[in-house]
Amino acid sequence: MRGHRDLQAACLAAVACALVAALVPWEIVRLAAGLPLTLFLPGYAIVAAAFGSRELAAPKRAMLSVAVSLMTLALGAFVLNIFPFGLETASWAVLLPLVVIAACRGAALRRERSQRGRAGRPALPRPATGSLVLGALAAAIALGALALAEKPLPAENAKGFTALWMLPTDEREDAVAIGVDSNQHDFHSYRLRVSLGKDQSKTYRVRLDPGEERVYEVDVPARAVGRTHVVASLYKAGDPQKLYRRVTSWLPRQMTFP
Amino acid sequence: MQTRLESPVVIALLAAIGLFLCSLANALSRETLEPSQLIYWLGVLLIAVPIFLRLTSSGPSYRERLGLVLLLGLALYGVKVVHDAPLFTLSDEYIHAFNVQQIERFDHLYHFNPAISTSPYYPGLEGATSALTMLTGASTYLCGTILIGAARLVQMAALFFLFARLSGSARGAGLGVAVYTGTSNFLFWGAQFSYESLSLPLVCVVLMAFVEREEAPPRLRGAWTVPIVLGILAITITHHLSSYALAIIFVALAVLYRVMRVDKPNPWPFAVLAVGSAAAWLLIAAESTTGYLFPVLENAVKAIYETAFGDTEARQLFGSPSDTAEAVAGTPIGARAIALLAIAVLGVISLIGLRQVWRRERRKPLVIIFCAFTVAFFAALMLRFAPAAWETGNRAGGYFFIGLSFVAIYGTAQLLRRGPRQMRRRLLLTGALAVVLVGGAISGWSWDLQLARPLKASADGKDVFSEPLALAEFAKQRLDGSRFAAPEADARVLLFPGGQIAYGGQGPDIEDIVEEPQLRDWQLPLLERNHLPFLVADRRQLSGDTLRGQYFSVKNQYGNELRPQGVVHKFSEIPVGRVWQGGRIVLFNLRDRP
Repeated sequence: MRGHRDLQAACLAAVACALVAALVPWEIVRLAAGLPLTLFLPGYAIVAAAFGSRELAAPKRAMLSVAVSLMTLALGAFVLNIFPFGLETASWAVLLPLVVIAACRGAALRRERSQRGRAGRPALPRPATGSLVLGALAAAIALGALALAEKPLPAENAKGFTALWMLPTDEREDAVAIGVDSNQHDFHSYRLRVSLGKDQSKTYRVRLDPGEERVYEVDVPARAVGRTHVVASLYKAGDPQKLYRRVTSWLPRQMTFP
Repeated sequence: MQTRLESPVVIALLAAIGLFLCSLANALSRETLEPSQLIYWLGVLLIAVPIFLRLTSSGPSYRERLGLVLLLGLALYGVKVVHDAPLFTLSDEYIHAFNVQQIERFDHLYHFNPAISTSPYYPGLEGATSALTMLTGASTYLCGTILIGAARLVQMAALFFLFARLSGSARGAGLGVAVYTGTSNFLFWGAQFSYESLSLPLVCVVLMAFVEREEAPPRLRGAWTVPIVLGILAITITHHLSSYALAIIFVALAVLYRVMRVDKPNPWPFAVLAVGSAAAWLLIAAESTTGYLFPVLENAVKAIYETAFGDTEARQLFGSPSDTAEAVAGTPIGARAIALLAIAVLGVISLIGLRQVWRRERRKPLVIIFCAFTVAFFAALMLRFAPAAWETGNRAGGYFFIGLSFVAIYGTAQLLRRGPRQMRRRLLLTGALAVVLVGGAISGWSWDLQLARPLKASADGKDVFSEPLALAEFAKQRLDGSRFAAPEADARVLLFPGGQIAYGGQGPDIEDIVEEPQLRDWQLPLLERNHLPFLVADRRQLSGDTLRGQYFSVKNQYGNELRPQGVVHKFSEIPVGRVWQGGRIVLFNLRDRP
């Protein structure tokens, strides 16, 4: 590949991006490395191998690089699936640089056969300062649009609710976890009553801010025969007589259908 | 002054402002403030109209036109992104995101999907997305959005190159791509994280590469064969319908090359490859496709027949696609008029275009296919009147529209031919393109869903979730990998982000189990037979609607109509364990009983 700077750069970039993507823990860095490795470099190398250096206009080369990269990813998944290790970070991090290096090698051979010398770089127009400022402003507004879209907003007319749930804490099923999860717009107070069979019960006062969840663990007394009927009932503090939520379980569970 | 206003950077700035307006309208809608849709449509027009106007001009260079269509594609894709971010919300997106999760979980393809069992056997999109998620560590949503965005850019560029090469005019190519944005699925359905959103752009790339190959000197034909072959293979494992459409196109080309005695190599090898790979994949890997796809097509044919002979009532246009959903706000008369006007505009442009194309380009086999597509597009519109066929017609329209967009180039060229009052004619064409874009968006997506609904909201600085999403988050954290029967909308969020095996709909018949207020003899045995211990009972009428059922209910707006209490009580009375209760949703565990 000597004398073909673009191909050398593609190979080095593929290896470097793969190493960064596989080894670096920070998502933003991995994203910066992973995107060219997946969406550009494989296609660039394969198109270079197919066309040589000067046979294709830059816009078409760029479009084909991305398109062929997408094809390579789809087909690459099919190929990796054949192997026992399958589709993993490591297998992608090996496959994609291999594709790039192999295709670049092919491209170098093809270029040496068909033409010698380095491909000239197309001259890029130098934008005016005003254009740069307007371009930057456009990019900032577009990013602002995306940021606004991602931001959760208050939705006062949306019907908030508080969920109540109950599950055994482990496989022994001698205790239950009872959760009260608020998806309300403001704080609410509740009374949680847990009855364990016919004789025992426990009561908790629960005050929840929006988005807050409280989990209570309650031991279930062992019974010699039969099952313990566990019932958790939630009442609003302001309306203590009216049942708001109820969850139930019979422990230990039968694990068969009715 | 005019030149400055039409400069690419000003157009980009206006597109960014337009995108911000769309985002603002969606934000106000998520805040449940019922904003005027005019803000949103103004945003869409601010994105598109300056680009359309510039594309009608004779001034821009080839590269500037390419840049403009890329900007158009990207900004209109942004409209979908700002509608949904940062969660998938379209019905098919949950299914494909679930498949990506399954690949990450098992390191292999083809793992079961309860919503569309054939979807894991077309793993091109999910396999490609898994490469991004694994190498970047980013979320499925972010990687999927980037990948579909890249595919969208590829599609815009490929169409531009294809039209430019076939018509010999960059101006025409730009206008052709502008017309293409008026296809009814362009703004939302075709931009979702779904296999067709990747395969359709690849179809465009293969067609473009084929045309380039035809025009290339013999020494370069081999080079163009590479993207064609890779494209055919990638499409084969990505999407069934796209692979069949491509196979039909190549077979038609091979036949036309022979019949018309075209003085170029017959593309039969591509036809053989496309047909062979699609058939082989169907028989070897994706046998279930026949059970999934063919009943839909059979029903469509039956519906056409029944509607034509008056056995079934014709479908009302602009109606809600789901009969299980609560009544939704209809499309206003003005919007309907724009959608119908768009069809009329397309009809006029196509009619003029067909005449010109036939006169000038009928020696080109692909052009003849595009002319046939144009006619087929208008024929497919008739399918919208048949209840079980409207979706088939709507989806087929995306392919036919490629041909129509090409033919439209010649129609627009007639309007812009040399002569007086150029500016007036440019403005007229720009207006027509705007009508086509907005009309397509109206006819392709329900009026009440054009603006976003709240799925996640903030309260006192913290995130709160809609009821189905809260259930999905609970299941993800506490019931990992369990099996559920649920109304369809709940089942989708349980798939993703819930990560559960969740059945909804009619195969098996979960729909009747969760919708009927009485417990029937067959219902519990069916759930047992399918190993579905967790059952979601949801009183919301919208729970059967995969496009509307996952959001918050909003006072005086939507999500307030309820099913009878029996849909919940019938399970309480068995009795069985109640695991989770939100406002309207109760999760039962059928294996927890006295």
